[in-house]
Amino acid sequence: MYGNLIDALPAVLSLGNLAAVVIGVIAGICVGALPGLSATMAISVLIPFTFGMDPLVALGMMAGIYNGAMYGGSIPAVLLRIPGTPAAVATSFDGYPMAQQGRGGYALQVAVVSSAIGGIVSALVLMLLAPPLAKVTLLFGPTEIFWVAVFGMSAIVFLLGGDVLKGLISAAFGVFVSLVGADTITGAERYTFGHLELLDGINIVVLLVGLYALPPAIGLLEEVRDFDTQNTGRLNTISIWKAMPGMLKYWKTWVRSSVIGVFVGILPGAGGSMAAFLSYNEARRASKNPEEWGKGEPEGVAASETSNNADTAAALIPALTLGIPGTAVAAVMLGGLLIHGLQPGPMLFRDNPGIVFGFMWQFLFAAVLLIFLGGALATNSFAQVLRLPRPLLGAIIIALVFIGVYSINGRMFDVYLMLGFGLIGYFMDKLKFPLPPVVLGLILGGFAEQNLRLALRIGGGDWSILAASPTAKILIAMILLVVLAPLFSRWLRARKTHRANA
Amino acid sequence: MLKTLDAVRDVSTQATRALAAIALSTLALAASSLPAFAAYPDKPIEVVVGYSAGGGTDVLARVVGKYLERELGEDASVVVKNQPGAGGQIGFTRVATAKADGYTLGTFNLPAAMAMTYDRKAAYDVDSFDYLANVVHDPNTLVVSKQSPYHTLDDLIEAARAEPGSLSAALSALGGNDHFSALLLAAATDTQFNLIPFNGASMARTALLGGHVAVGTMALSQTIGFDDELRVLAVLDDKRSPFAPDVPTAKEQGYAIEMGSYRGFVAPKGLPNEVKTRLRAAFAALADNTALRDELAAQGNALDIRVGDDYRALAKSQSETAKALWQQHPWK
Repeated sequence: MYGNLIDALPAVLSLGNLAAVVIGVIAGICVGALPGLSATMAISVLIPFTFGMDPLVALGMMAGIYNGAMYGGSIPAVLLRIPGTPAAVATSFDGYPMAQQGRGGYALQVAVVSSAIGGIVSALVLMLLAPPLAKVTLLFGPTEIFWVAVFGMSAIVFLLGGDVLKGLISAAFGVFVSLVGADTITGAERYTFGHLELLDGINIVVLLVGLYALPPAIGLLEEVRDFDTQNTGRLNTISIWKAMPGMLKYWKTWVRSSVIGVFVGILPGAGGSMAAFLSYNEARRASKNPEEWGKGEPEGVAASETSNNADTAAALIPALTLGIPGTAVAAVMLGGLLIHGLQPGPMLFRDNPGIVFGFMWQFLFAAVLLIFLGGALATNSFAQVLRLPRPLLGAIIIALVFIGVYSINGRMFDVYLMLGFGLIGYFMDKLKFPLPPVVLGLILGGFAEQNLRLALRIGGGDWSILAASPTAKILIAMILLVVLAPLFSRWLRARKTHRANA
Repeated sequence: MLKTLDAVRDVSTQATRALAAIALSTLALAASSLPAFAAYPDKPIEVVVGYSAGGGTDVLARVVGKYLERELGEDASVVVKNQPGAGGQIGFTRVATAKADGYTLGTFNLPAAMAMTYDRKAAYDVDSFDYLANVVHDPNTLVVSKQSPYHTLDDLIEAARAEPGSLSAALSALGGNDHFSALLLAAATDTQFNLIPFNGASMARTALLGGHVAVGTMALSQTIGFDDELRVLAVLDDKRSPFAPDVPTAKEQGYAIEMGSYRGFVAPKGLPNEVKTRLRAAFAALADNTALRDELAAQGNALDIRVGDDYRALAKSQSETAKALWQQHPWK
């Protein structure tokens, strides 16, 4: 197998194939950075053209787009608090405060270096450990996935923000949105009001753009044109090569978040946004100064960006070995493989090693290229965007999100839906309801519900199935540990102070 | 040697093509007095696909579209338009209600498209289309994991009878061929299964591989490439599949169950006769196209061209099957 890996290298290093990866990364950073446009969309657009292409050229572009977009999403998340992709929501928690403090350039540098590290780890894992990790994927049936979702929900506690009641209302709203559509277990239609367009549920991009991109864009329009664009456009950065040594102190976060990202990647059906939320929360939990998080802690940016890129190549492990399109992007990529007669599954590695292993190399190159293309070129040019007059910037964003949302399914219905969410988001913003719980509620609520009901259905309605497998028992123990440990340590501390006082 | 034979064949097909082209252009000249048909197709033909770009049906539409362009002549252009949503229903509806001028066609999935006319409100029915041609047929299977204690169909049925409803059967969704296969199996063997509708065929297959469910009814194409992981107990077709010649049919094992997915192309009802004939002839010509056959086979799809009235008859019978199953076992 490792021999195949080396054999695949020369083809990947040919000029055309390398150029494909470079173009892919640049295109990916751009679509990721533009709110409303996503990697899924960019790769879908590419699909018809891949017929005439050499498989490795097509796949190289896809690998580049996927990696580039995962980083690109952090650019508007940091600079404008508008996550370019769902996976960049957690990046905005600390990235935007940093930008407000004039450290936006550093935030982007942390983001690009962390993204590259996550991507490199992920690609290496895909190259070296795909078959054994596919076996891990198989351990996760509906029961186990349900517990992972519950684990993820423990992150909600932090995301609730200052006002717990408002936070819970936000989370409940997210879960409510996840209910819309045909019930996958019984087929019953929930809150569809007879609209076929709602039968498949609400696409997360529609919600995300409505809540996150529209209100700030309207805010930009409301701003008086300020003439002090000379200073706001400066990110006050030093060269990325000089900044990198200072980032080495995040190594623990890089390691932890890479592991989390890879783990979420191999789970069937979970995606980069779940990886980012989980790893942000774990990093905060491990931090010595958790109270600084959410106020501009670079480590938060590192945690989120490492793991959403660590999810990319890892998500291809179940996709290539088991044919599971875990994420929308992976689904489109599988289509790209299918066009070239490459059937995903265990045989793929045996029948087409040149292409499969070449594809893996391309993921590695794409991740490395991120530092050069993302760090050196893209970050600086996108920062210029901030020098645009604010109303113009707002208008551009609104035009982009219309195009992006329309193109998901090619229909106006989603655009109207997005405008509705925009209205809700505008008032949530004014009334200080936190937005992250909505996103988490939508992602994890639907995930938890569907898997819980599948598990119970498999168990014939017997709840004991939820703790039947060893994997499930381990997950339950982990959840208990995570929930109870802070309570226990607080109790210990209280006892100590009590003794000291006595 | 083989190469030369191929070359000879290529030359001869080219010759036939050239002759056909001359014949066609003469025909076109003769027909140019008829304005409606004058130069069909004189603009791009749109094929509506009710699923996202990159999905199985989408890839099929794009591959077939490529060959269809060649059959329809030099300037023909076939453009795929994705209209995903509601399990394909949005796309089917769009085709049914489009202008019947031959410039809007659509992919059509049986029996799913017909099941939707019973289990929910639909703006079309089996008579809303002009049937062009079915292109691929993918029979369902009864399949277990290689680790499963069941080695034959009889083992499975025996276990199901011993404790009715205890065996869980993974489906890709409700109201599709996977679901119907399980219902037909239960009826034919007088047993019950605990039906588990997953979110798509690959999730169902993964649950089967991981041992979280006992049996699956997925389509044969979904089992290809998993030879070391899955054991296919029966193919639900009247004959063995060329993709799995060693796997017996359910019929051979004494249970007359046939179910599978059919994917083809339809147009809105009321196409001009000339256009309809032209399109059907183009599809009929694809039946002998070995390049298409090979390309589809590489994607796990078996070419099964059924043109015009044969296709309509297939849709009618699939519709009746779906209706009967819906009436006996309403799933929602």
